[in-house]
Amino acid sequence: MDEELGGLTEEDFYIPPVKYEYLDHTADVQLHAWGDSLKEAFEQCGMAMFGYMTELNYVQIKEVHSIEATADDMMGLLYHFLDELLFLFSVEPFLICKKLVITEFNTEEFRIVCKCYGEEFQIGKHPQGTEVKAITYSAMQIIDEPKDNKFEVFVIIDI
Amino acid sequence: MVVRQYNEELKYLEKINPHCWKIKKGFQPNMNVEGVFYVNSTLEKLMLDELRNACRPGMTGGFLPGVKQIANVAALPGIVGRSVGLPDVHSGYGFAIGNMAAFDMSDPKSIVSPGGVGFDINCGVRLLRTNLHEKDVQPIKEQLAQSLFDHIPVGVGSKGIIPMNARDMEEALEMGMDWSLREGYVWAEDKEHCEEYGRMLNADPSKVSLRAKKRGLPQLGTLGAGNHYAEIQVVDEIYDKYAAGKMGLERIGQVCVMIHSGSRGFGHQVATDALVQMEKAMKRDKIETNDRQLACARINSVEGQDYLKAMAAAANFAWVNRSSMTFLTRQAFAKQFKMAPDDLDMHLIYDVSHNVAKIEEHIVDGKPKTLLVHRKV
Repeated sequence: MDEELGGLTEEDFYIPPVKYEYLDHTADVQLHAWGDSLKEAFEQCGMAMFGYMTELNYVQIKEVHSIEATADDMMGLLYHFLDELLFLFSVEPFLICKKLVITEFNTEEFRIVCKCYGEEFQIGKHPQGTEVKAITYSAMQIIDEPKDNKFEVFVIIDI
Repeated sequence: MVVRQYNEELKYLEKINPHCWKIKKGFQPNMNVEGVFYVNSTLEKLMLDELRNACRPGMTGGFLPGVKQIANVAALPGIVGRSVGLPDVHSGYGFAIGNMAAFDMSDPKSIVSPGGVGFDINCGVRLLRTNLHEKDVQPIKEQLAQSLFDHIPVGVGSKGIIPMNARDMEEALEMGMDWSLREGYVWAEDKEHCEEYGRMLNADPSKVSLRAKKRGLPQLGTLGAGNHYAEIQVVDEIYDKYAAGKMGLERIGQVCVMIHSGSRGFGHQVATDALVQMEKAMKRDKIETNDRQLACARINSVEGQDYLKAMAAAANFAWVNRSSMTFLTRQAFAKQFKMAPDDLDMHLIYDVSHNVAKIEEHIVDGKPKTLLVHRKV
């Protein structure tokens, strides 16, 4: 499922604008992400999580991996999507992602396929931010209001 | 959550002595027992402020206040005694941090909840002593601290340096500190000074997902991040000379090392996996809780038993992890002081877990009972 670096095109190196912020909580942090579609809000939420682990300016796009997440409902889908990304970072290939592109966003069967662009995390090259222990359902919100063009997600991560 | 005015909420709370508050039934729906929490005046203010903030109109914060969480736990099936908030109590996920609750093993409806253990299974602290004095350490403080950093991997993305393959991992999960002893990382007497002798016997690695094992493997022997630490400490005051003497702490200025860490990504994944399984079990067995974060399963259900066996494996992982760091700490000190760790008297004083569920015998209403005690601090 991994593509060689040679397989990356110029378009793959395009860095999307930042559409997320971190909201402080007692001892944790809440990710708040938005976009022009719910798909974009999900992508931004994933990038927000990686941005909390390191400073993304230091990350180069050197490889691309693909993940898949499935669930029984939308909240479950967001939860498992982030959990898959955390897993990609925690084990081989230890990927720290600068950019995420969801290629399949199925809100009826609750399935996501996502391309993850980045490189292996290296202490020394990448500043050590905060370790994410787990994703939580705590106060999770998914705002999906196409008529107002309002697409936002809120997720608390356990740190 | 029941929404009332703050003044109305306070009617359910009663200060029964200067350090203890009672939470009466009705504060949250379906409470089986009362709640209780222990605080000094500073913590009391924090607890009541959490509640007051949650009562503000339009408040949709991420966390329920700790008092509400203690009351929600009091509503879980099979709870006995009271839902207890210990003096470190504050708002957490599902259970409050500092929340302790025991469930009657003989009641078929009793539950086990991963939220009552926490994501970092068998997070705990251990204290090592030395025969060094503060004045021995002071001149080389920087070098010693650097040496600890060189030996113990810390922070996000760090990888362990204790060699381990998938097969070692299976054995470590089953054996806990017995594995560390066999591999030569700890001293035999370390086990005597560790809760459960560093091994939970009901651990079953086959109940742990491959995903958790994959996350755990590269992280064994790493400290982690957040509030985890390996810290050089100095005895400042001795309160009980006899007890301190038994622990080998004999003088002011004596140098110790404290290690606070847990089961790393392994335990986090075990907890995450269990929460998914339990959501299904709750639907099947029609278990209702006041909060989605309080996912749980009957102790005697497949999900409940599988969780307890996987949790025990994670507890063993954490003991192997702290043992590995004990080994690395001893090496770091030995190199700096050019003395063997046993000549430096680097014995383990004690290792205790603060995120765990255990089966224990207690007296409830005058009768001995077998209880599943959840502790999360």
